[in-house]
Amino acid sequence: MPENTEKELIAIVSRLFDEGRIHHFLGYGKGTVKFKTTPLIARNREDLQGLRVEDSCATNLALYLKEIKGPVGLLVKGCDSRSLVTLIKEGQVKREDLYVVGLPCPGQIDPAKVAQAVGFESEELEEITLRGSEVAVRVGGQEKALPKTLALLDKCLNCQYPKPLIFDCLLPGEYAAPIPQATLTDDELRKKPISEKWTFWAEQFNRCIRCYACRNVCPACFCPRCIVEENMPQWVSPLPTMGDNFVFHLMRLMHVAGTCTSCGECQRVCPMGIPLMKLNEKMTDDLRELFEFVAGVDPDKPFPFRTYRQEDADNFIK
Amino acid sequence: MEVKPEVEKKSKDWEPRILAFLCRWCSYAGADLTGSSRISYPPNVRILRVPCSGRVNPLFILKTLRGGMDGVLVSGCHPGDCHYTAGNYNARRKFAVLSRLLEYAGIDPRRVQFSWVSASEGDKFAKVVSEVVAGVKALGPNELFRLNASKQTAQGPQSHRQ
Repeated sequence: MPENTEKELIAIVSRLFDEGRIHHFLGYGKGTVKFKTTPLIARNREDLQGLRVEDSCATNLALYLKEIKGPVGLLVKGCDSRSLVTLIKEGQVKREDLYVVGLPCPGQIDPAKVAQAVGFESEELEEITLRGSEVAVRVGGQEKALPKTLALLDKCLNCQYPKPLIFDCLLPGEYAAPIPQATLTDDELRKKPISEKWTFWAEQFNRCIRCYACRNVCPACFCPRCIVEENMPQWVSPLPTMGDNFVFHLMRLMHVAGTCTSCGECQRVCPMGIPLMKLNEKMTDDLRELFEFVAGVDPDKPFPFRTYRQEDADNFIK
Repeated sequence: MEVKPEVEKKSKDWEPRILAFLCRWCSYAGADLTGSSRISYPPNVRILRVPCSGRVNPLFILKTLRGGMDGVLVSGCHPGDCHYTAGNYNARRKFAVLSRLLEYAGIDPRRVQFSWVSASEGDKFAKVVSEVVAGVKALGPNELFRLNASKQTAQGPQSHRQ
């Protein structure tokens, strides 16, 4: 990321604070772990000195709009802006309360993936820099070049919206072109026989510890009281048995159908490494196929489960 | 709690248990007509009356499977006939996504089926139930979560989970 981007950002946000347009600004600060950033909530100009713009700004900051109300500014990548569109559509935030600063995003680096690709621990990596179509990694005094596929977050490899869909200003920099749909990777699991699918998911659900990190980090999950915490009646047992985990994950998918923008945060934060995005992508593909609905893109298109057409697919019904 | 031996469920005289969510206006009346017309159908369904097929939350279906029922049937009014105008249209969208997701998660579509049965279709209700029962019989008992429970026990520390 160019040096001046950070300065530019601080200048823009300082001006917003001075003009009293925002009470908070959501950005990224230096992380406690190497090569990672952490969300930073600035309440005044002084806090802005902690702002960082790096090559691994993975967090979807739209999440914090659940709790931070009132005039607020935030930094968004193309993918995060879709969450904003959804939240505005859902009436969770008002567009006029937001000041959206767009971040040029060439794809975000996943340090764990890089470490795996070069065969080192992520603490041992010295430097990771994005250079055009390659990622240069300095480790053990040597420099290695990795293709983007081995260094970026999985979601970035199929990015359809590198440029924010809504914004009030854009930081200078290069806004990558969308990756053509044709290069979308196939999910092998979808072609497998049904018994193998169950074997796969039974094992995944068995590992879930129900920490609810996936739910807590999800910008689309904004119910004040989640149904898993409901106890009269109790719909889902809080014990992390495989069966209840199955109910929880499938139910969560149905709840975020239409609002899930495939931002990939659930999978990123999962401490057990459960490939939740496989489920989310299946669901978003189904919505596209059945109802031509893509979440977080068109602010005027109604959510798929709040509308219907007489000619909707009926072939699965007797 | 008494632990039932696994073999019991696999025995020859195993009969599937199927939970049927029937809409109050059409399918429930249709099922009633089946009975009053003296049409016989497999006694494997347990009927649960709901106000509308739109009332059937996907969570009900998941919970039914999790609870160990061998199959689920959801039935409502034909498109255009909903007492609440559009309940079944909305339900249809949810079920379309849910049935695809269940298939992807590895649950055979024969376990969770949907139908439109009107109040005058007593014969269709009998036919639908027979088909669902035959499908579930071919699949065998719902041991999706049971098999795994025994696997968990083998691991030791998680043995309290049932």
